[in-house]
Amino acid sequence: MKIEFWGQEFQVNMVVGCIGGFLIAIMSSMFGFGGGPFMVPLMTVALRLPMYLVVGSSLLAIFFNTSISTMRHYQFGNFDLLFFLAMFPAALLGGYIGPQIAKRVSPLVVKRVACAGLLLLALNLLGVY
Amino acid sequence: MKRKTGIGPWLFAAMVLLFGVNAAGAAEANAPAAASAPTITIDKTELNNGGTIKVSGQAMAGKPVYLEVYAADHAVRANRFDSDVDKDTGKRPYIFYITSEMPAYYKIFVPKDMQAKIDDEAKKKKKWSYSELLKNLGADVAYSVPPKAKIERYQSTLMASVIGSRGDLLPAMDEKENKKRSMQLVKARFRNINNVVAAAIDMKPDGSYTADLKIREGLAPGKYKIVAVVDKQAKSEAATFENKISFPTMYLENAGTSLNLVYPFFLTLVIAIFGVLMGAGGGFIMNPLLVTLFPALPHTIVAGTVTPTVLFSQGSGIFNYSKIKFINWKLGCGIGIAMMVGGFIGPKLTEMITLDQFKFAFGWILVVLAALMLWQTTPGYLAKNKKEQAILKEFKKRAEEASKGK
Repeated sequence: MKIEFWGQEFQVNMVVGCIGGFLIAIMSSMFGFGGGPFMVPLMTVALRLPMYLVVGSSLLAIFFNTSISTMRHYQFGNFDLLFFLAMFPAALLGGYIGPQIAKRVSPLVVKRVACAGLLLLALNLLGVY
Repeated sequence: MKRKTGIGPWLFAAMVLLFGVNAAGAAEANAPAAASAPTITIDKTELNNGGTIKVSGQAMAGKPVYLEVYAADHAVRANRFDSDVDKDTGKRPYIFYITSEMPAYYKIFVPKDMQAKIDDEAKKKKKWSYSELLKNLGADVAYSVPPKAKIERYQSTLMASVIGSRGDLLPAMDEKENKKRSMQLVKARFRNINNVVAAAIDMKPDGSYTADLKIREGLAPGKYKIVAVVDKQAKSEAATFENKISFPTMYLENAGTSLNLVYPFFLTLVIAIFGVLMGAGGGFIMNPLLVTLFPALPHTIVAGTVTPTVLFSQGSGIFNYSKIKFINWKLGCGIGIAMMVGGFIGPKLTEMITLDQFKFAFGWILVVLAALMLWQTTPGYLAKNKKEQAILKEFKKRAEEASKGK
């Protein structure tokens, strides 16, 4: 499929994109996360698209997934209103404070800390310790 | 949800009825006619988010007494996906059992000398069986509330899973089968052996008993009932106490637990900030942290409630990008439709897996994510990324100017 973005044309392999997106969507809706960190590498590496095209479009793709899975979770009675009300304002507030701090810290350090943190969390979940 | 509101008034009516019976029962307690039935008295009728209740009474000499304690005001959902190989036929049944009438709290207290039997069952770790435990303890005579829960069962097929359905509703089960399945659901719901049984009763040779019942924190508010049971015929009247909780601890109706809401608030705040910094939605960290820190929360509720939380940050992100025309709608919608199909199937799978499977799979997802993050800090990637970011900034600037120029 050919797409045009800001005057440039790109050739996109939609088969790879859709299969990858489908699998990531199952996983992310099943476990309740967005899926951005998986979608962005899929689109940049597997589909060879430039970053500036991916940032917005991947968000749009994920939004489809999240809205449908929200609906489905609600349908299955997995949604708890009070719990949501406790987390939602905090998420909004965090989204507001986050970018202000982001200017002051090195993304490299953050990524490394995140990496270590994620590994620790993963090992905990896998029952290693 | 609709169904719950429908049940509410009935529950209330039942409570009123039971209460009336209760009051009448108390008056009759002194009558000698009730000699075979055990008696029960409790030292207080109110708890503040858990605590200890002293129970005493008179049962039969030489026979163990059991205390069945359950939440009378709140019911929760329990579900289990049966994919274990059937011993007789060697096939996997793939039947999905679900009930919405499981008491929010259910525990049987047994005499202290049975502690060893509980420990034996606990040695099986995650494979402990509630039905065997009850049989070994002789406590199945006290097991009376969950079997009354209406259990629905669905025959799952691969096809049904693909279209995201629970499968075909099978005919209702008979009483015996319902009881057997309810035991499995008790385990699926309360998971830990210590949540459903405890050895706490002191028996005297003359048949009198005392017990300190520890009621844990984070339970549903409202009325709880305690029934002393010797055997199927010899049951005491229900003693009632009330568990009270106060803000910021609130009862989460769908999760079936009470939680101090301040904790998730601050947790989300910290995670959301960190999520922005590392460029990943907070859901990745939020879900595993919530299931580890609050083991009482079912993973289905965690996944189902975190998802809408990230929805709004995504929405605002899209809005901001679309203002400067930084989204390719064709590409986004194309892949988005494929993802929609995935998002349709995923939530059903959540309720089919157990917490342990959830943790296991999530563990590996996080390992992959950590690897991705590590890759993003390698020099090769950084050099490439620097270029990309420069282009990104340049394009963004152009886009912003273009949208302003209009």
